[in-house]
Amino acid sequence: MIVGITIITVSILVNQITKETFSKNNPGLDAVVGAKGSPLQLVLSSIHHVDVPTGNISYKNAQKIIRHPAIKSAIPISLGDNFQNFRIVGTNKKFLKLYNANLISGTTWSKPMQAVIGYNVSKITKLKLNKFFVGSHGLIDTGDIHAEQPYKVVGVLNKTGTILDNLILTSLESVWSLHTDENKNKLEITSLLLKYKNKTSSFSFPRLINKGTNMQAASPSFEISKLLKLTGNAHRIVDYLSVLIMLLSFLGILFTLLNNINERKYDLAILRTLGFSRWKLFSIILSEGMIISIVGSTIGLIFGYLVYESMHYFSIVGRSIELGQLNFLNDLFLIWITVNIIAFITCLVPCIKVYKQNIRTTLLNS
Amino acid sequence: MFICDDISFDIDGQNLFSNINLNLKPQKDLLITGPSGVGKTTLLSILCGIQKPTTGKVTYNNINIYDLAENKVDDFRGKNLGVVFQNFNLINSFTVKQNLEIAASAIGTKNSNLFFDLLDRVGLADKSHLKVSNLSIGEKQRLAVARAFIGEPKWIFCDEPTSSLDDKNANIIINLIKEESLRCKASLILITHDNRIQSLINFSKILRLGEEL
Repeated sequence: MIVGITIITVSILVNQITKETFSKNNPGLDAVVGAKGSPLQLVLSSIHHVDVPTGNISYKNAQKIIRHPAIKSAIPISLGDNFQNFRIVGTNKKFLKLYNANLISGTTWSKPMQAVIGYNVSKITKLKLNKFFVGSHGLIDTGDIHAEQPYKVVGVLNKTGTILDNLILTSLESVWSLHTDENKNKLEITSLLLKYKNKTSSFSFPRLINKGTNMQAASPSFEISKLLKLTGNAHRIVDYLSVLIMLLSFLGILFTLLNNINERKYDLAILRTLGFSRWKLFSIILSEGMIISIVGSTIGLIFGYLVYESMHYFSIVGRSIELGQLNFLNDLFLIWITVNIIAFITCLVPCIKVYKQNIRTTLLNS
Repeated sequence: MFICDDISFDIDGQNLFSNINLNLKPQKDLLITGPSGVGKTTLLSILCGIQKPTTGKVTYNNINIYDLAENKVDDFRGKNLGVVFQNFNLINSFTVKQNLEIAASAIGTKNSNLFFDLLDRVGLADKSHLKVSNLSIGEKQRLAVARAFIGEPKWIFCDEPTSSLDDKNANIIINLIKEESLRCKASLILITHDNRIQSLINFSKILRLGEEL
């Protein structure tokens, strides 16, 4: 029972929190424009900051999109470096507004090589205001560092519960100064995060980009729902497996109790002769079964929560998608109740057997 | 007042006994005797509300126990009757004290001094922590007697309490039963074919099963 509940708890938590996290990480963006390739990869790398980008696009071309009449807002981002596996994102200050981020201390950047760090970055790397750090080339720590141009921490962000907590933000110019020759015509960015003026553009604009340019426009909500559908099938298999394990545990409780009362039928008959009524013995056996069930399902729930918390901890350390903080989920409570109702019904079988016991025959046979 | 009115019992269509009529005043003792196989133990089960008779009534102070709901019969037996079974019917996996505690909890008594006094009187005070399986036959019998008196019942039933004991232990057990019955002001209904007992207790009535009544 403990194993079954643990698996189903982790499955539900991960399933729900993943959905929640994906939705939290996307603050209403309608599209991401980037280099051609997998649209899911583009969305994952530009919004959720997992996976590598599909490539770079010309900043000159990006500016044409920014000025397009269908676009309400466009935020350029440029990836390429990391510090202790936390991604360094070149962008503009609108990026902070996108996530309603506030500074705990310091200010935003005002010149190149100044950086604002997310809450988890500051907590884990121990970087503080006015400290310097050097970026490492690539999106994971390879040791290939840009020692000649260190960043200075000028601001630390409040916790947002989004991917922003795991990012280091700086100006586009900082990234360009490390990676390009600053020839304005050759400047590149990784992608553009877009909001349309009108939702009807979500049909026409991507077509315009996908067919008329060497770039692609991907819809974050569409790509993520495709991904969740795929992972949802895996979750369902895990859920079926845990239901099977729980069914086996109910049978376990049933046979344990039946075996117990079979071994103790003589003692139970003695208790009747001493004055314990049928109902009293019925309730004792029922209590035994329910204690096993309640303790088992509660331990399973706690184990599931601990496994989830470990995953949560390692997801921060591993800089992947942050699973978000747990709020007690109604689904888990519902499962706990359902498991114990089924256990209650299962326990009735041995209880009825005890209730119907003929004490005279039992004592004589013993 | 304990009254048996026209008790009969059939087993597999065969009559084991019939027309059993008894009338026992408070604090009077009854001996039920007879050869093996005549149904003495079955009669005791009927009198204690463990086995329903084929016909007849068993009345304690105007309460016919077979008119009570089944749950109430168990409750009535626990609170009003003490039973010493032939094979003791002790819980072997429990200690001496636990056997008394479980009997006390069946009737809602929680007085630990009572356990100690009882064990002291039956000579098992220093063995209260021992498991029943580690006791001798005589000690088990004394524990079974102690348990029967835990609720200070008004009717005590003993089934062959001395059948497996030597003379010395038989005397101890019978004296113990007599003393505890007097202390509780209880009527003693004793089943035996052991002739030693008849010389030790002054029974006001004797029922000889298997003989013409």
